[in-house]
Amino acid sequence: MSNYALRLIAVATTLVVATGIGFVVKAQLIPDSFGKYGHYRANAIDEEVQRPIRHGTNTSCLKCHTYEAAIHLKGRHNTISCEFCHGTYADHVSNGKKSGTLPVKKNTEISTLCLRCHNTEIKARSQAVIKTVAMPQHLESQEVKLTHTCNQCHHVHAPLKYINRAKQITGLTEAES
Amino acid sequence: MSGFHEGSAMLLSNFVLPNDLHVHWSMMIVLYPYITGLVDGAFIIAALYYLFDIKTLKPVARFSLLFALAFLCCATIPLLLHLGRPERNFNMLLTPNPSSAMAGFGYIYAVSMGVLGFIVLFVYREDLVRLKQQSRGMMKLIYRLLTFDCDDLSPKAMALNERLIKILVGLGIPVAAVLHGYVGFIFGGVKANPTWSTPLMPVIFLFSACVSGISAIVLAYIVIRKLTGKAIDGPCIITCIKTLTGFFILAFSFEMLEVFSHSYLKSGYHHMVEGLLNGPLAASFWLWQVKICSGIPLVLLGVMAFIKLSQTRYNLLAAGVSAILLLQVFIMRWNVVIGGQLMSKSARGYTVFHPEWLDKEGILSVIVVMIIPFVILFVLGKIFPFWSDDRGESID
Amino acid sequence: MKIEQAPPQLNRRAFIKKVLKGSVTGSLLLIYPMGGGDALDMLQPSTMPDMPEQIPGIRGKAYNIHERKFAFIVDITRCIGCGSCCVADKREYNVPDGYYRTWVERYIKDFDDQVYVDCPNGGLDGYQKPREDIDVQVRDTFFVPKLCNMCKETPCTQVCPVGATFTTPDGFVLMDSDRCVGCGYCIQACPYSSRFLNPVTHTAEKCTWCYHRVRKGLLPACVEVCPTGARKFGSLKDETSEVYKILKGPGVLTVLKEAMGTWPALYYLGARLEVI
Repeated sequence: MSNYALRLIAVATTLVVATGIGFVVKAQLIPDSFGKYGHYRANAIDEEVQRPIRHGTNTSCLKCHTYEAAIHLKGRHNTISCEFCHGTYADHVSNGKKSGTLPVKKNTEISTLCLRCHNTEIKARSQAVIKTVAMPQHLESQEVKLTHTCNQCHHVHAPLKYINRAKQITGLTEAES
Repeated sequence: MSGFHEGSAMLLSNFVLPNDLHVHWSMMIVLYPYITGLVDGAFIIAALYYLFDIKTLKPVARFSLLFALAFLCCATIPLLLHLGRPERNFNMLLTPNPSSAMAGFGYIYAVSMGVLGFIVLFVYREDLVRLKQQSRGMMKLIYRLLTFDCDDLSPKAMALNERLIKILVGLGIPVAAVLHGYVGFIFGGVKANPTWSTPLMPVIFLFSACVSGISAIVLAYIVIRKLTGKAIDGPCIITCIKTLTGFFILAFSFEMLEVFSHSYLKSGYHHMVEGLLNGPLAASFWLWQVKICSGIPLVLLGVMAFIKLSQTRYNLLAAGVSAILLLQVFIMRWNVVIGGQLMSKSARGYTVFHPEWLDKEGILSVIVVMIIPFVILFVLGKIFPFWSDDRGESID
Repeated sequence: MKIEQAPPQLNRRAFIKKVLKGSVTGSLLLIYPMGGGDALDMLQPSTMPDMPEQIPGIRGKAYNIHERKFAFIVDITRCIGCGSCCVADKREYNVPDGYYRTWVERYIKDFDDQVYVDCPNGGLDGYQKPREDIDVQVRDTFFVPKLCNMCKETPCTQVCPVGATFTTPDGFVLMDSDRCVGCGYCIQACPYSSRFLNPVTHTAEKCTWCYHRVRKGLLPACVEVCPTGARKFGSLKDETSEVYKILKGPGVLTVLKEAMGTWPALYYLGARLEVI
């Protein structure tokens, strides 16, 4: 065998050994839980589970806000999430203590918020699911100023609360929440 | 535009899904298949000489190997620039997902790098040994390494060397085909995208790779020889152009076949593909890729094949055709990669792509990435003489 | 439609393989009490005093990740396009502007079968105005909430080169943002465009059906805030759950882009054929 052939065998051997070492190193660097359930790091599931919860439930909010609870739970808006209008639980409470103040919508902000769901102009809303109104026709038909905001007649947490109360007082009809 | 079959009906709303407004694969992913394509095509030229004994290609054979090597060294740069977390690139080697076409990249790349590297060393062996004896200092050290610190040039050793070249080049062809064909498959395997999802994709990519690589070799050979005041080998250019003509006819036919199939089959997403080619891609596909950069070369290649030209004129046309074809392949990559993403998966609208200058995947980066291989080629040229006539021998 | 159609590859061989795999993993689980999806610690009721359990049978029990099954149903007929879900989702995950884990589309269909869809800001601002850019006689109009389809034949996990996205044994397609290289292949592969590259972390991100909440017995944030019950989520192990009843009933459930062969686990009620 020629000198060159021997040298090439040495080179090839070095390459094979280096590749082998590479694979050994590779095996060491694969994360521990990789492959437990499939071709992925099983611990990533746990890490996802540990992600902090930011939205609570209405029960979480109403536990402290008992005054609002009494109204909200009885009204037609009882399916609306507190946090949609006010912000997330996590921005308000941490470790069981109040940690921040959440905004309360005011005036025209409220009307904008109401019309997000109740605007008749958006035809894609099923009347079986939601009662919609046209603005400003609704204000005109109710004979109130066009500058009125929704919450001047409708309690935001129980929209028919005042209406029904008024009807009861005037004897127009029986109460409906 | 009128009526459903013109593809207008479902597009009126031009609705793009909110997450589809961004083009996630931008210019670096155009560049990557372009670079591997150049590698592939250049390697084909070398393979034709070393494996298939096409003797006329001798003047460019060694150069194409170096050219392929220089570009292969840079193939990962666009990918690293593209990755959101480039520092994690080794995850591709650590935990390659067997079900993913992309996962093979690290290993395919490593193998092709190794094969190409050794082919160059074996092909240059005689020169390297000679240069080692002539050089001193740092260069001597480099040459010692590159000759495996062995001066054996005995007939027995050289016979072995010849055999190894044949074996490695033979191995290199499938490796190169896989390296680039798999890039085509990465696109062809995305069923969510109707312009990409076709088994023709790897085939188109391979043929256009050969076109770009051979064009690059022809152009580089002519330009470098002219600049250094050396003679241009006529028969070599003619063989290159003939090979180029063959590959280009195949590439162009398949590109057109894909479009024709879409429009003839009128499958579910046809209106989207048709609207894409006639809308956002009207200029870059029909005008640039097809009419200018394919039409003109086809005419010129026809002239070169059928009309007797003086060698000077032939060389001039060869350089011109090659330059246009290099552009054609780049535009084709652009139209596939960027164009394919302009269609929203809503099947109802198209987004737009604005290339930026200074982005990490921007135009400036593209220019820099395309310069680097030439710098590497220049450095390689200092170690490995480009031409076999550099020793003063005449070209066979 | 059946409760669950078997994915196409469930032939006998695959079944036997699955049983074998299951029993091997099962016996391993008996030997090694390790992490990786089985952690229970902080899921006990005591640590979450303010949040009553919404998905029964999860808290205070060992969570067997191989046994659990959940379902998500979107009832298009009940969606009013208020965008509460989009807002909640953005807040729950601090989703960067311009990217969406979930969104709500508005469809308008006219008498010529033309379909007009829009989705301004992913529905985050709700739908305050009718479309002004089209002038057609509306035949049908509705909202379509979109989120991850949790495909059973998952194209995104198939193409991930590094195993950074995966389907958990309980059927959730999740991201491992610690391993993601940000190549964007999963984004290309998702037929529903549910994924995006987070411009802050530079890794791929997607809807998880709020896996972190579900594992603590809470509903996904979007389901929790939906005022009309258009988004429904529940355990299929719980025969009293709404999703169980819907899936058990005769049903007119559909999935998106069925022809893609992705076998979504996200079902739609009342989706017109134009919805893709």
